[in-house]
Amino acid sequence: MKNINWSKYSKPIILVAFCVILTILRPTTFPTVSNIANVLWSVSVIGIMVCGTIFVFLVGGIDLSIATLCGFSAVVVVEVIHMFGDTTMGVFVGILAAIGVGALAGCVHGLIITTFNIPAFLVTFATQSVFLGLSMVITNNKIVSCTAPAAFTAIGSMKILGFPLPIYFMIVIAVLSWFVLRKTVFGRWIYAVGGNPAASEISGINVKRATILCYVFSGMTTAIGGIVLASMTRQAMAATGSGYTNDVITAGVIGGVSLLGGVGTVPGAIFGAVLMGLLNNGLNLLSVPSTHAGLVKGLVIIIAVGFDAMQHRDQSRKKSGFAFFKKKNA
Amino acid sequence: MKKIIATALCLMMAGSLMVGCGGEKTTREDAGGGTATAAAAGGESNKVTVDPYSGDQVKIAYVAHDLGTPNNQGWKEGIERECASWDNIKVDSYNAESSAETQVQIMSDVISQKYNAIILQCSDGTALAPSVKQAEEAGIPVITVNLDADTVHSALVMAVDYDAGRMAAEQMAKDIGESGEIAIIQGVPGLKRTDNLEKGFRDTIANYSGIEIVDAQSASFEKETAITVMNSFLQSHPNLKGVFAINDAMAEGAALAAESAGKKGQLSIWGADGEKDALAMIESGDMTGTIYTNSWDEGSTAAKIALLMIGSEYSYNVLEKTPQVIMEPIVVTKDNVASIPEEDRW
Repeated sequence: MKNINWSKYSKPIILVAFCVILTILRPTTFPTVSNIANVLWSVSVIGIMVCGTIFVFLVGGIDLSIATLCGFSAVVVVEVIHMFGDTTMGVFVGILAAIGVGALAGCVHGLIITTFNIPAFLVTFATQSVFLGLSMVITNNKIVSCTAPAAFTAIGSMKILGFPLPIYFMIVIAVLSWFVLRKTVFGRWIYAVGGNPAASEISGINVKRATILCYVFSGMTTAIGGIVLASMTRQAMAATGSGYTNDVITAGVIGGVSLLGGVGTVPGAIFGAVLMGLLNNGLNLLSVPSTHAGLVKGLVIIIAVGFDAMQHRDQSRKKSGFAFFKKKNA
Repeated sequence: MKKIIATALCLMMAGSLMVGCGGEKTTREDAGGGTATAAAAGGESNKVTVDPYSGDQVKIAYVAHDLGTPNNQGWKEGIERECASWDNIKVDSYNAESSAETQVQIMSDVISQKYNAIILQCSDGTALAPSVKQAEEAGIPVITVNLDADTVHSALVMAVDYDAGRMAAEQMAKDIGESGEIAIIQGVPGLKRTDNLEKGFRDTIANYSGIEIVDAQSASFEKETAITVMNSFLQSHPNLKGVFAINDAMAEGAALAAESAGKKGQLSIWGADGEKDALAMIESGDMTGTIYTNSWDEGSTAAKIALLMIGSEYSYNVLEKTPQVIMEPIVVTKDNVASIPEEDRW
């Protein structure tokens, strides 16, 4: 027993505990395939986005433009589809255009941040307004509905083996991100840059290029999130995705991602997203009135994150005495 | 017909106002002079009377709660259309982006810029009351749309709320044979209109002993959140027969969730507002019905009243309560949705 590193498993333990509690409370409705599919479906957009945004967090940056970039790419995909007369061809072009827009936006973020050395907070704070403005101009601040091409509506809601497609997208992107961060040299660079940029620079890492690539990838996943969201709701507007900046950052932080950079894993971030989804699902299934939901949610998050942090603190104490402020470098 | 009723109401209201302030003496130069002169020799009102229909420069501010929503856009377009024929009438729209604090700021900006009238969708009746009072005291008539302010002002133009809930409840009861489980998807609590809608629905459902409201959850007026909420309803209550959503966007989300669960057309799904997308979903059989109000008409009615107020010599302080114009509600189902022409779909 003593040799098992429990802190490594604290997150899965929390999730399992959660599922057990909900199964006991709602034995007929919670542990069903369709309900699990609903939980994952509801967090799939956050999950997709956090897999990209984690790269930005890891290099010590932040992206406040997630919500409006998500909305802008939703608007782009829907407008392009309309431009092509609601055809399947339009869906392909629209998706490419939206992801291109996301990549371009990320590239611009990265270039401004690294070239002029402006804090990411400021740059993305400004661009969030730019993206919102662009969406408003393009849509005339109206809802653009898109119900026609089956290829488009399938993205958000078509089911394979009982699970809607966005869940598969989330899994694929998560595996890709995990692979890049854990198994490639580029991934090691990113942790190094976030942990200590100066030392990384000296040791021959192209900090600037690594940082820009992180923002590009984050922009792309945000755009994919926007496309999925547009397809799920079969519409796009400037307000599509509003609130997602908070949700994505929260999911990351609950999952142990440090906003100071250098610390965090993809499974952790996905854990954060799924925990939030389970919480919302549980509150709904238990019919907790919306007036009480916020209170319960906050308390449960504190308990879960507290438990997780305790495990890790014990671990780091064992390793190196008191290491509360110490950054872990991979 | 609706327009005639609205106009008649305006005239009646104006008539009573003029009787009310008959004691006050006001002077005005000939319209040909084109300049505005201060009215209200009585001293109580600061109202500046100008004649919008004879070339005086007039500017109207439309202060919206959230211009990104279809009904806010509908009102905006209605107001603009109403004023479009007169070059001298200018309409400026302001967006409070769903924040009452922002709206208070916008109101003070608009008052200091001396607009001739303000059309306001009041984000929060209590928070905006001082701003509305300040505007009225500065002689700027305030016409609220759908959401009332907790202070007496020139006029309120609104869609039915309590009755819309009642109508949806009666229709749904009929759909499901007056028995079974139903649920409600709520908006953000605390808005008078949506609270009244829910109350009207609940009060009416209480008359049917066979119908039980088994769940009520908030989806914050958002379509995507409504999908998640509806999914959990379908999990918890497999025998659910009907869902009433406080607005159409959430009803559309509920319909999408029902479709993805393989229950398209099997549930009675009702919304309220009557936006374009909801009408399309009623046509396709995804949604059961909605309570439709013509937002363009509502906006243009508000504009008509504003112009009437600007041109009249009344002062708001003769009013004991805010006069109201109530828009005609239409119960829309698959049977009559075709009767709402394309040009009335906002």
